[in-house]
Amino acid sequence: MIEVKHIYKSFENKDVLKNISKVFNEGETNLIIGRSGSGKTVLLKSIVGLHEVDRGQILYDGRDFTQMNQKLRKKLRQEMGMVFQGGALFDSLTVEENVRFPLDMFSELSSAGKQKQVDFCLERVNIRDANKLYPSEISGGMQKRVAIARAIVLNPKYLFCDEPNSGLDPETSMVIDQLVRSITIDLKITTIINTHDMNSVMEIGDNILFISEGEMCWEGNRKEILHSTNQKLQEFVFANKQYQRIRDDKIRE
Amino acid sequence: MKSLEQVGKYFELLVRVFSRPERHSLYVRQIYNEIDNLGVKSVGIVTVISIFMGGIMTLQVAYNLKNPLLPIYLIGLGTRDTLILEFSSTILALIMAGKIGSNITSEIGSMKVTEQIDSLEIMGVNSAGYLILPKIIAVVLMFPLLYIISVFFGLIGGLIVGPAVGAVTATDYLNGIQYLFNSYYVTYSLIKCLVFGFLISSISAFFGYTVEGGAFDVGTASTRAVVNTNIMILVWDLILTQLLF
Repeated sequence: MIEVKHIYKSFENKDVLKNISKVFNEGETNLIIGRSGSGKTVLLKSIVGLHEVDRGQILYDGRDFTQMNQKLRKKLRQEMGMVFQGGALFDSLTVEENVRFPLDMFSELSSAGKQKQVDFCLERVNIRDANKLYPSEISGGMQKRVAIARAIVLNPKYLFCDEPNSGLDPETSMVIDQLVRSITIDLKITTIINTHDMNSVMEIGDNILFISEGEMCWEGNRKEILHSTNQKLQEFVFANKQYQRIRDDKIRE
Repeated sequence: MKSLEQVGKYFELLVRVFSRPERHSLYVRQIYNEIDNLGVKSVGIVTVISIFMGGIMTLQVAYNLKNPLLPIYLIGLGTRDTLILEFSSTILALIMAGKIGSNITSEIGSMKVTEQIDSLEIMGVNSAGYLILPKIIAVVLMFPLLYIISVFFGLIGGLIVGPAVGAVTATDYLNGIQYLFNSYYVTYSLIKCLVFGFLISSISAFFGYTVEGGAFDVGTASTRAVVNTNIMILVWDLILTQLLF
């Protein structure tokens, strides 16, 4: 479980996050949603410590990340996995070497043990016959799946995904969503996903936080989101005509 | 004020670069890769440049020593000392700042803008140490070797061009390059090479590591890295010459 309490963050006197508090549960896909520029990525990067928050607390199963020194943070980070928007795979390493990298860096497994774990993770994300290829030689969807494999190779307790569907077609997006959801449930990890994709929200949104202009606007789950009366959320959700039709149908029923 | 801030950030980064590595074996593997990438792959260009510069220097010295009172072997001596003292250390460092330096800045800068560095940090890896330390060690180790290669091929260049255009005979040239040889000149230049190697790798890495934005900014950072490295090479050339002579 990850708990953020009264988080504030600003850049050059511009307030980007204002008093954000939220509990992200274990074994659920927790979503942070909002328009582009609403502060989603800053919030996610603040939670993982890539940005230092100005005020507030971030608790990982009760451990206060904001009070930790660099040594303790490095140790905690070995319990984290993150999938970046662009995949962030290492260009100079093959698919297999990318997934193996965290094991080489931190694991005491034998070479055969590492290989077994790499094969298991690549199998888990349905990557076959691409082990020796470089990131530039595989598709965007495959890159995302390799990034997920790399993120879970050390059996993390916390998984973070920054817009994992950006740049992907709807079918591949759904595959990625379901993959992240099944990994979250199977491994009982705390997963936080940043997205502005309403299909993802309706597909895997167990626990949703909607932020607008750096402020918490609404929280709930995918069943509640269509019935919300929050003006800003409505504008965000029903910007898509398809969802307007779903809402109108529900009202008629 | 901004320059001072940059200097502060540079030293802050160096502290992170020289902190204890997570896994020594991975760092050693990286050092071998960087020696190949930054050092061995520079041997070709160093050889070509040195042969041409050695030849040109021999011609220049010969044209400027057209005096019957001056012994002809001075052409070889002049070429040798110019190569050993300045060309193969300082001028080569300026050239290498362009080749190796821009390579380092663009590689690390691209990793920064594509979030690969963030990815390392999230894993708990000291990204500055893992990416920069092997490059510094590789360049500092390889630069003195490139210097020796450069002196050797520079002298060969003089030996080819001088007699070919009739500026000096091969015998006089060979006598000249052996005449009044002072081995301290080599020691002095090797010390300079170590310092220049460190400056090229660390300054270029700093500009790559601190880049913000996209591909355009990586290009701008590469240019700034080369310019700043060149200035620092010349400043340290002056300081070391004053200190070591």
